[in-house]
Amino acid sequence: MDPVSILLSFISVIVAGFLAGLLGSLTGLGGGTVLVPVLTLFLGIPIVFATGASLISTIATSAGSASGYTKSKIANIRIAIGLEVATTTGAIVGSLTLIAVYKTGLIWIIYVIFGLVLLISLVPTINRARFELPKPMKPDWTTRIFNLYGTYYDQKLRKQVDYHAVRWWLGEIVMFFAGFISGLLGIGSGALKVLGMDWAMNLPMKVTTTSSNFMIGITAATGSSIYWFAGYIQPFLAAATAIGVLAGAYLGSKILVRITNVRIRWIFFWVLAFLGVDMIFSGIAIKQGLPSTGTVSYIGFGVSIVISIVLLLLLYAKVRRDRLHA
Amino acid sequence: MPKLDQDSITSMILKSGVILSLSLIILGVVLIFIRGGGDGISLSQIANYHNPGYTITSKSLLPANFLQGLINGDGLYFISVGLWVLIFTPLTVLIDALVTFGHERNKLYTLLDAIVLFNLLIAIFVIPRFIG
Repeated sequence: MDPVSILLSFISVIVAGFLAGLLGSLTGLGGGTVLVPVLTLFLGIPIVFATGASLISTIATSAGSASGYTKSKIANIRIAIGLEVATTTGAIVGSLTLIAVYKTGLIWIIYVIFGLVLLISLVPTINRARFELPKPMKPDWTTRIFNLYGTYYDQKLRKQVDYHAVRWWLGEIVMFFAGFISGLLGIGSGALKVLGMDWAMNLPMKVTTTSSNFMIGITAATGSSIYWFAGYIQPFLAAATAIGVLAGAYLGSKILVRITNVRIRWIFFWVLAFLGVDMIFSGIAIKQGLPSTGTVSYIGFGVSIVISIVLLLLLYAKVRRDRLHA
Repeated sequence: MPKLDQDSITSMILKSGVILSLSLIILGVVLIFIRGGGDGISLSQIANYHNPGYTITSKSLLPANFLQGLINGDGLYFISVGLWVLIFTPLTVLIDALVTFGHERNKLYTLLDAIVLFNLLIAIFVIPRFIG
């Protein structure tokens, strides 16, 4: 290859990273969840390199956005570090599992799990932010022992919010899985972390999302180190994605506050659903020994588009119905 | 110790980590293009990330060679160090928080932070000896 076409290919990865960072930030799913499918499905990059580049880029986006949240004191660093006990353990187990899966040649499984995780993550992501503050729950023994109290100033509600978390143990269990998925798939698994803090520990949405963002960096650093020595990080590719994802996520955070139309988010959700379905198809195609290019991939694309539209319509109908009942 | 500093210092560590890392990575990319490669490998081989068997991966970029690589002005090592700065940024945050929890005599959270640090250090220094 001549230097010009190399430069163009490098720029195309930066653009892919940029779009992934933008979409990940606008939907709240995080850059990696979008980046891995985009790199593998559209740019034909081997999934190990895609997960490697994605995981290490995730640290940059987490650190970049968390630096703002921690300064404004919304993220609860103490609670976050306490939960990292489980996420880092999970990340170690997850990365080692990926190595084992890769060595046994069952890589198609990673595609399928990735697609499923992406689709399942969509549900809490779509339902998110319906309520700023959770229904109050009585402090339990873990609230006292682990000192799970906090306070932050909510700009939207224009008041100081005092909160406390419950069921620390359940949070830790969910966080172990979040870490495992992060190490296995090379993503931040922010959706699962939010589930741990929102559903399991009953923390306010703002504290949950910002603390989860802070946590992603520590979890991803654990997995990235293991990926490095396993040879899953291609430096040139990771350089491009780190630059692209960070820039995209930055722009996303800037325009997120201006998006008032909720409907437009459904287009983004559809893109994610499509990527999830197509990942599952690619996994099945690899298992069946079908070629990843040509007719098979076009049929896969077409079928994925149809299925993802149907899935989204079902989800949309469910959300509408829930809102009417609420 | 004033409470203000814990959050602000964390924020500052995260921000400087990202800026330092990105600067090194961009410099590394420029160097690779200018010098037509790095670490004795040609540009087209470095850029061949579609082909795991034919390209360079993190496995052959050993941290022990990072310093020499930087001195040689080798772009691949600038990228590598930039990526490792990313891995070390959360580690620095954890060490800083450990010191703060220690100052506050918060035994439980000092312990929890130490466990997280332990996990991260295991992932960096111990597990690599058993894989690959």
